[in-house]
Amino acid sequence: MNKVRVKEFLGKLIFGGAALFCAASVIAIFAFLVFKGFPAFQKIGVWEFVFGDVWSPSRYDTYDAPLSGYYGIFTMIVGTIAATAGALLIGGILGYFTAVFLTFFCPKKLQGLFASVIHLLAGIPSVVYGFFGISFLLPLLSLVSPNNGSGLLAASLILGIMILPTVTALSQSALESVPQSYYDASSALGCSHAETVFRIMIPAARSGITASLILGVGRALGETMAIVMVAGNSPTYPKGLFHSFRVLTANIVMEMGYAGEVHEGALVATGVVLLFFVFLINLLFLLRSSKAIREKNKKTSVRKPIVRQALLPHTPTLGRLLSVLSAAFCSTILLLLLGFILFRGLPPLLSRRYLLFGKYEFGGAQITLLPSLIATLMAVLLSLGIAIPLGVMTAVFLHEYTKKNSLAVRLIRSAIDTLAGVPSIVYGLFGVVAFLPLFGGSSSVLAGSLTVSLMLLPTVVRTTEESLAAVPDGLREGSLALGAGKVRTILRLVLPSALSGIFSAVILSIGRVIGESAPFLWTMGSVMTAIPRSYLDSGTTLSVALYQLAGEGWHIEEAYATAVILILLVLSLNLSARAVIGHLKRKSTKGKEARSR
Amino acid sequence: MKAREIPHFGQSIRVRHADLWYGAFHALKDICIDLPSRTLTAFIGPSGCGKSTLLKCFNRMNDMVEKCRVSGEFLIDGVSIYGKIDVNALRKSVGMVFQKPNPFPMSIYDNIAYGPRTFGVRKRAELDAIVEDSLRRAAIWDEVADRLNRSALGLSGGQQQRICIARALAVKPSILLMDEPTAALDPISTEKIEELCLELRKTTTIVTVTHNLGQAARISDKTAFFLSGELVECGDTKQLFSAPRDERTRRYITGKFG
Ligand SMILES: Nc1ncnc2c1ncn2[C@@H]1O[C@H](COP(=O)(O)OP(=O)(O)O)[C@@H](O)[C@H]1O
Ligand SMILES: [Mg+2]
Repeated sequence: MNKVRVKEFLGKLIFGGAALFCAASVIAIFAFLVFKGFPAFQKIGVWEFVFGDVWSPSRYDTYDAPLSGYYGIFTMIVGTIAATAGALLIGGILGYFTAVFLTFFCPKKLQGLFASVIHLLAGIPSVVYGFFGISFLLPLLSLVSPNNGSGLLAASLILGIMILPTVTALSQSALESVPQSYYDASSALGCSHAETVFRIMIPAARSGITASLILGVGRALGETMAIVMVAGNSPTYPKGLFHSFRVLTANIVMEMGYAGEVHEGALVATGVVLLFFVFLINLLFLLRSSKAIREKNKKTSVRKPIVRQALLPHTPTLGRLLSVLSAAFCSTILLLLLGFILFRGLPPLLSRRYLLFGKYEFGGAQITLLPSLIATLMAVLLSLGIAIPLGVMTAVFLHEYTKKNSLAVRLIRSAIDTLAGVPSIVYGLFGVVAFLPLFGGSSSVLAGSLTVSLMLLPTVVRTTEESLAAVPDGLREGSLALGAGKVRTILRLVLPSALSGIFSAVILSIGRVIGESAPFLWTMGSVMTAIPRSYLDSGTTLSVALYQLAGEGWHIEEAYATAVILILLVLSLNLSARAVIGHLKRKSTKGKEARSR
Repeated sequence: MKAREIPHFGQSIRVRHADLWYGAFHALKDICIDLPSRTLTAFIGPSGCGKSTLLKCFNRMNDMVEKCRVSGEFLIDGVSIYGKIDVNALRKSVGMVFQKPNPFPMSIYDNIAYGPRTFGVRKRAELDAIVEDSLRRAAIWDEVADRLNRSALGLSGGQQQRICIARALAVKPSILLMDEPTAALDPISTEKIEELCLELRKTTTIVTVTHNLGQAARISDKTAFFLSGELVECGDTKQLFSAPRDERTRRYITGKFG
């Protein structure tokens, strides 16, 4: 019997330890940022740093000597706000109307198709968007622009397309949760479908839609690589639609690799300012979405009259037209992007065998992607190997062991939620200041994977927790009532029932490791060297390789081929995830149907 | 591997001055009741009167409920179950069947073998014997003998409930608690489970909660009537239904309460 006690105790210790580790890593990240950024704020001066508009760092500046460089980021703050506003204007409006289309005007048969379009748009890695920007959008814009097309317009367009899926998905779920009874009541009064949709349904979902826009803003703020590739990046104000400018994230990722002492501190401080904006937005989101929930729970009878203006003033007919157009636009963009990249990238990929299987010659003309493929695989394995067990155990602790509202749990949970909002470049920054010194200052697959595993944690914890919550309590009771201990109940019953959720966490994580590039660039390596032989060697993931190839401009066909591989990987992940999750769901609902018979 | 030695609890339940609170809510008030060995007792009373709550005290399933506080004496064959005992061993001796059938999402065989495996039975032959015996005692062997490896979720509600009973029997409990075991079932399944209860009573102490007064009258030896957390009356079923001592009991069984 003692053996069981020991097992129960060990279980609690291990699950609790994982949760504690998650909380500790959040604290570590913020401690490092403060610890590294504070001296820079002090040396440069908060006012001069935030409101200075000359950025001209010197890599020889140290904390002991007078500064010779200039460290003002105001141009980039303005640039970030401008690009985010532009993205919101484009992606927000398109996303909103697309959601309206999907919820109310989409023919039943096409619903699955459009859902896949949005899914795919969400899954395409940010470097691929950036590359599409460089190779398709900039040449197009340069026809009308005085420069090569880069600047605020290009950045807003690309960012807008990137936040569109987020806005669409959240707005759609807000619209879907409006009670059907509203619709029926309005129809019964003789209102047409479109009138009902725009006069009743959308106003009722207003808070949820606003929340989705705020979340879109959060995404736009944290986006790095795509915007680096199309913004031009000179540290000046965005003085027009076609004028080179720089955003905060770009500042970090462009200079992190060669920064001196104060310079590095200033980049960390840039990260702190970025986080400040992100948390401001998250706070807004929380306030909005809690309002949305409150409104949803309110009884219908106490609602104020809901016949108000829709979010944007337009007539129902115009609204319907716009929603159809938006959805068409989304599909067009996806087709254009896929078509263009496949068209340019497939031929070189198929005709040049050395692309995939060749040996890399330093300085040679031939580029091979084999080292990047292997490095990507290594990074996927290690970062998932860390994040999945840790995240699942944390979720188990939070959901199975703790009382819902105890202080410790609330703290851990909000720590994890905070982590979820941190932009990926900040993880990269953390990796550089915290992990690189551990490995003698040089980048390695190990350092990159550690960095990214931290980034994966919040998603894994949340997804797993959701699926644990979906496991019926009856199963737990049934097992405990038989005299089984908690550990056995969890391992034998609860986790197997939550498998589809854990599986989707795995797929999401693989997708992120493949797609992210900002956190890898300086932690894992940016030179396409030979195949990494161990985790201590450096290497480039495919996304980083694409960034390099696109930036050099010499190996443009190889860049297209890399983009094709990335897209194919994302596509196949997406498909296999749906197939397997669908299968697991069907398996569990089959039982339920039989039960209700 | 030999099955571990598990302390065994007896068959008779004795409750003295038991109170239970959910937070500030006083759910059981000064309950005193005796449930002798190998009898079938039915708990009746309107919804929310505390029947399930008292039932869950007998295998300490209330331990999981936040802010639940218990006082008073709960004895099984003289052993206090709220003292220093092994809760898992208690639950092995005191089985439970729930209102909503809750088969595990695994094969029928694994459902039944789950309990024995928990307590260290590993040998296939031994497990086979336990599975067959339990399914027979739960009167469902004939229906599932040829598909033991299929998922238990594919069975009908009535079959699932009997699987759950078999699962509870597989760890050889001396007491079986049933919380409205037939509430979610059709009349034919209900009848089967009633017969099963009468059979099981010969070896096991059974406590069942039911909303169906006819069922209580048909199968139970003793009936206990609860109202707002109090035990109003407990006696021989025949006597309680024909000549209730308490006016409130009379009104309940003649249909004056909801
Ligand atoms: N977990 C709980 N927390 C708080 N109150 C509870 C809980 N479970 C039951 N109660 C309350 O205790 C009373 C008795 O419940 P219960 O024993 O389930 O009644 P029943 O006789 O219908 O089985 C009810 O008023 C119920 O609301
Ligand atoms: Mg009950």
